Amino acid sequence: MNIDNEDDIGIVFRKTLGHYTVQANGREIDCVLSSLLHKQLIYPTADPTSLHHAVQEVREINHVDPVAIGDQVRYVDAGNGSGMITEILPRRSKLSRPAPVPGQRVFEQVIVSNADLVIPVFAAAEPTPKWGLLDRYLVSAESSDLPSLIVINKLDLASKNPGLDEELEIYRRIGYPILSVSAVTGEGIEELKHALQGKLSVMVGKSGVGKTSLLNAIQPGLGLRVKAVGQGELGKGRHTTTHLEMFKLDFGGTLVDTPGVREFGLWNVTGEELAYLFPEMADYVGQCKFGLSCRHDREPDCAIRKAVMAGEISPHRYKSYLHLREEL
Amino acid sequence: MYRAASFGDFKCAHCHTFVSSTHQLSGVNNRNHCPYCLWSCHLDLYAAGDRLSACKAGMKPIGLTMKKGRNKYRLESRGELMLIHACIECRAMSINRIAADDDAETVIVVFQESLALFHRIHALCDQYGIIPLNAESIGIVHRQLFGQNVEISSTWRSLHKS
Repeated sequence: MNIDNEDDIGIVFRKTLGHYTVQANGREIDCVLSSLLHKQLIYPTADPTSLHHAVQEVREINHVDPVAIGDQVRYVDAGNGSGMITEILPRRSKLSRPAPVPGQRVFEQVIVSNADLVIPVFAAAEPTPKWGLLDRYLVSAESSDLPSLIVINKLDLASKNPGLDEELEIYRRIGYPILSVSAVTGEGIEELKHALQGKLSVMVGKSGVGKTSLLNAIQPGLGLRVKAVGQGELGKGRHTTTHLEMFKLDFGGTLVDTPGVREFGLWNVTGEELAYLFPEMADYVGQCKFGLSCRHDREPDCAIRKAVMAGEISPHRYKSYLHLREEL
Repeated sequence: MYRAASFGDFKCAHCHTFVSSTHQLSGVNNRNHCPYCLWSCHLDLYAAGDRLSACKAGMKPIGLTMKKGRNKYRLESRGELMLIHACIECRAMSINRIAADDDAETVIVVFQESLALFHRIHALCDQYGIIPLNAESIGIVHRQLFGQNVEISSTWRSLHKS
């Protein structure tokens, strides 16, 4: 049992309460956190330079689970399909959101770490796309320095949403890549496979947009459980996928399927930096009358407001900015 | 009971009076102007309530117009009395319903001022397909504000004659 051996490094593919499935060398090992690591991560040292060992106060701990899907971990293999995680290697990137837990304290929930690509998935219709939610995903990806690929699923239902192209044109103009696909007809699936190749990608989107159906279309052998959206007037999705899981793709690359979310808050984004996270607004930041102090709301001579009125920034994106600004 | 989304109470950017958006006070679901000074704010771009405008400047009440009702059997001249608002920065125009608690005296003042500058306002409104009420519509304005059974005052009569 040599913990310095490179063979003992794996990736967390799945997690349930306290148990982490680590994949390494084609094997799946059911791991738990070592007591020492658990102590270090849950109760980290308050000041590493201090001679006196004091742990961080509970009120300063701000994450729900120190291990996330996609984490590279060093583990000790017990030999019977189980093991123990002894170290979490530094993360290349992480996509987080405030954990939806009741109460006044807000915790960080790392959705996936070490991702290379964020894929916000929306349906052309049923359920109708919520562009405000897309803006949230894009801002969150920008704040994590991750590129995004907007995927519009259910292309076969596009005729039910006549304004779709007009809305997508806004994002195309900003420079976001967009891929229209259909998990039913298979249209665009090859292009999506090409985009996923060799990357660790994470699919996010609200319930019922077809994230798992896409995964089934990309890799038919998986046979993951999917459901049709509700038949009611609202056409809302029904929660089918209930946990995060990473899948290795046959053609190279890995894809994380997430449960549908109806709320997606921003983590670690301040009001002052929000405009930077809208690529089309970033160039105007600092050009306002009040410089970097401008909130871009009702301030006179605001460069961003002027750009919106001149048609250089979409009013819908500007509205999303204001909505997000109110939350921060 | 269904109730349209409200954007909440606000302080008027023009007269700085606190304005409540309570449905029971205004009689309308979307309070879009101050009931005291009748000024509005340029917040909507394509449709009422979309809040997509980045202009956000004040909108001055410049006159009155009639919006045709859906009842096709009613007289042509009838409909609903509406305020015409013009943005003081980008000159955009919109028409807004008069709320139940709008100050009737201020509405009359707006109407009188619009008559004094009628040709100019008419030219402005023409671009947006809005027809401002002229001096001949004084009876309609009076009926809409005070009802059928209230006599037109002498001040109003003199205005009508002028």
